[in-house]
Amino acid sequence: MNIKGSPWKAGSLLLLLVSNLLLCQSVAPLPICPGGAARCQVTLRDLFDRAVVLSHYIHNLSSEMFSEFDKRYTHGRGFITKAINSCHTSSLATPEDKEQAQQINQKDFLSLIVSILRSWNEPLYHLVTEVRGMQEAPEAILSKAVEIEEQTKRLLEGMELIVSQVHPETKENEIYPVWSGLSSLQMADEESRLSAYYNLLHCLRRDSHKIDNYLKLLKCRIIHNNNC
Amino acid sequence: MDLWQLLLTLALAGSSDAFSGSEDSSKEPKFTKCRSPERETFSCHWTDAVYHGSKNLGPIQLFYTRRNTQEWTQEWKECPDYVSAGENSCYFNSSFTSIWIPYCIKLTSNGGTVDEKCFSVDEIVQPDPPIALNWTLLNVSLTGIHADIQVRWEAPPNADIQKGWMVLEYELQYKEVNETKWKMMDPILSTSVPVYSLKVDKEYEVRVRSKQRNSGNYGEFSEVLYVTLPQMSQFTCEEDFYFPWLLIIIFGIFGLTVMLFVFLFSKQQRIKMLILPPVPVPKIKGIDPDLFKEGKLEEVNTILAIHDSYKPEFHSDDSWVEFIELDIDEPDEKTEGSDTDRLLSSDHEKSHSNLGVKDGDSGRTSCCEPDILETDFNANDIHEGTSEVAQPQRLKGEADLLCLDQKNQNNSPYHDACPATQQPSVIQAEKNKPQPLPTEGAESTHQAAHIQLSNPSSLANNDFYAQVSDITPAGSVVLSPGQKNKAGMSQCDMHPEMVSLCQENFLMDNAYFCEADAKKCIPVAPHVKVESHIQPSFNQEDIYITTESLTTAAGRPGTAEHVPGSEMPVPDYTSIHIVQSPQGLILNATALPLPDKEFLSSCGYVSTDQLNKIMP
Repeated sequence: MNIKGSPWKAGSLLLLLVSNLLLCQSVAPLPICPGGAARCQVTLRDLFDRAVVLSHYIHNLSSEMFSEFDKRYTHGRGFITKAINSCHTSSLATPEDKEQAQQINQKDFLSLIVSILRSWNEPLYHLVTEVRGMQEAPEAILSKAVEIEEQTKRLLEGMELIVSQVHPETKENEIYPVWSGLSSLQMADEESRLSAYYNLLHCLRRDSHKIDNYLKLLKCRIIHNNNC
Repeated sequence: MDLWQLLLTLALAGSSDAFSGSEDSSKEPKFTKCRSPERETFSCHWTDAVYHGSKNLGPIQLFYTRRNTQEWTQEWKECPDYVSAGENSCYFNSSFTSIWIPYCIKLTSNGGTVDEKCFSVDEIVQPDPPIALNWTLLNVSLTGIHADIQVRWEAPPNADIQKGWMVLEYELQYKEVNETKWKMMDPILSTSVPVYSLKVDKEYEVRVRSKQRNSGNYGEFSEVLYVTLPQMSQFTCEEDFYFPWLLIIIFGIFGLTVMLFVFLFSKQQRIKMLILPPVPVPKIKGIDPDLFKEGKLEEVNTILAIHDSYKPEFHSDDSWVEFIELDIDEPDEKTEGSDTDRLLSSDHEKSHSNLGVKDGDSGRTSCCEPDILETDFNANDIHEGTSEVAQPQRLKGEADLLCLDQKNQNNSPYHDACPATQQPSVIQAEKNKPQPLPTEGAESTHQAAHIQLSNPSSLANNDFYAQVSDITPAGSVVLSPGQKNKAGMSQCDMHPEMVSLCQENFLMDNAYFCEADAKKCIPVAPHVKVESHIQPSFNQEDIYITTESLTTAAGRPGTAEHVPGSEMPVPDYTSIHIVQSPQGLILNATALPLPDKEFLSSCGYVSTDQLNKIMP
């Protein structure tokens, strides 16, 4: 060990440390990864890309599933006007147009998306169970429901990962709207039951579209700085 | 019928008139289209009311309602803007537009709902057409006929792509200027796309339209972009020329098939054989299979007599079977077919052959059945007057190791060679000797020579015989193999391995000297006869001038036919003076009347064993 070089080495190390700290502060608004190396293996850009792909896929499946259901069971019977058509996620203050979406801040936006996703876990599970238990279970609808449930879980995990990266200090907010439409799905009256299914699938299509839209907005905002 | 149709049409017209008349032929306004170009505003259009008549329905109003988050409010609001979107339209600006909230609108006229419609904004999204289309040349093909271009455009300006509010996909269409049908490409998400394989000398039109992903409909098409590719090469191709490979292949196969069928069914045997060689079937030369069919066995036999291997079953089956035992004779028998034999043999051979080749076959029984021999002899006698002469000649024709004496051969051809057999037949031979000598001396010599020659020819046919070219003082014999044109020579053809005893033992001057011999020789003789008959052209120029000068014989013409050119006369046969010497044979230039007794066998020929005993 070179005695002569040791003070130089200490000095250089200190300088390096200070410069790093300073640089870290002035880094671009792209969020760094404070959660540790284990959680930063995938870049934020990749996470958002994957999330957008998933949300787009889920929305496609929802649209198809709704179309098939409508064509098969409720077409031309005026359910769209008769049904109450209120979704359990309506209590959430979701932006309804572009201005509102631009006004909401990034953190709340992400939390909102996560809440919607969480609130759909249980309805999707029951949807699959009930459709599978049908006497003449429509295979197309059942397969799509199963796929939607699977992909929604993955999207939720991805969103939680994004949140942990973008806003690591966010406390886990487990509040989300609860779905209570199971009883209506199991009603004996076919008309009521079909109406319940129609409503559920319509809400699923709408909410999946919202999630898809929100994520695309956020991606352009966070990753591309409003310049997709 | 015509009257009824007329009445029916009048009734229908009247009813329609009544209908229209009640409403003064006015059409109700209906919603034609609601559209949102950028998902921030939307507008709805309806048809104008047509009023005929005095009745006035009043102004048309549009009311809308949208479902709130929680409840379905039935509060209808009037259209906020009837102007901005044009005539008979209602424009909803961004403040009135909510995306995931369903709307319901209705048209009213004089308080009465005329039309109603419910939708959500996403369903009516129809983006504006893309703008700023342009193209750039990517590359030109090597032939200069085709080129690739890259078409670029921009998204409609009112669609907020940057913020991600709208995600569009585009569809490009292109066609040649004078075509009517547009070619479509698959939807693309980017704003530039390459178009491949455009023809250089043609002008193209390109247009693009956009649509929101997952929802809505395609918007209007953009303005048409005209693409004129610069001509690089000076060659202008009218149209693509492609080598008609498919036609060529098809016609080629067709032509080949036709040719194949022509060959197959044509009469051209040569070509047919060339392409489809015939499968070898059992066939005998010179024999027409039709003869079998016609049952002309005699002719068949005649022909087959030429061949050595033919054994017609004219004799009793027993004898035929017994003939097979002799395989030694086969080489000799083959010589029966030699031309020299035929030459030297007289006509009786020929006549004999006519009867069928009963004696021309090899495979005669062992010489232990005198009956058959006698019959053969008789047959021969019957057939040929000079059979006696011929046969011994034939018989003598076969060379023998025992050194047939020329003279003896001439006189008694084989009696030297067949000491054993000679005994019974010697008499005959001797009997016959004078006959051939004076009368047919030449002939006998001929025959003898012929037969002798046949021997060499037979020798030539096989390697059993070799001419003795010289005798060393020690007493050993120097053989010179391969000499075929030996005339009846003073020297015997001595072949150490020779075992064809039948030939050697035959006496020339007597057809039958030994029953066994005759038996053996019968196949030889007739062959000789036959051959001589068949080939009468053989000049019976006597190769042997004298019996003693057989050496001068130039070689039989018979053999000459078989053997090209006669070679120098070499004494073929020499009587064996002493045969007991284990060292070899001592040849005696002068013929000895009789060979050693030891050579005499019951059958008139020396068997192999005997010969082996005699010779080392």
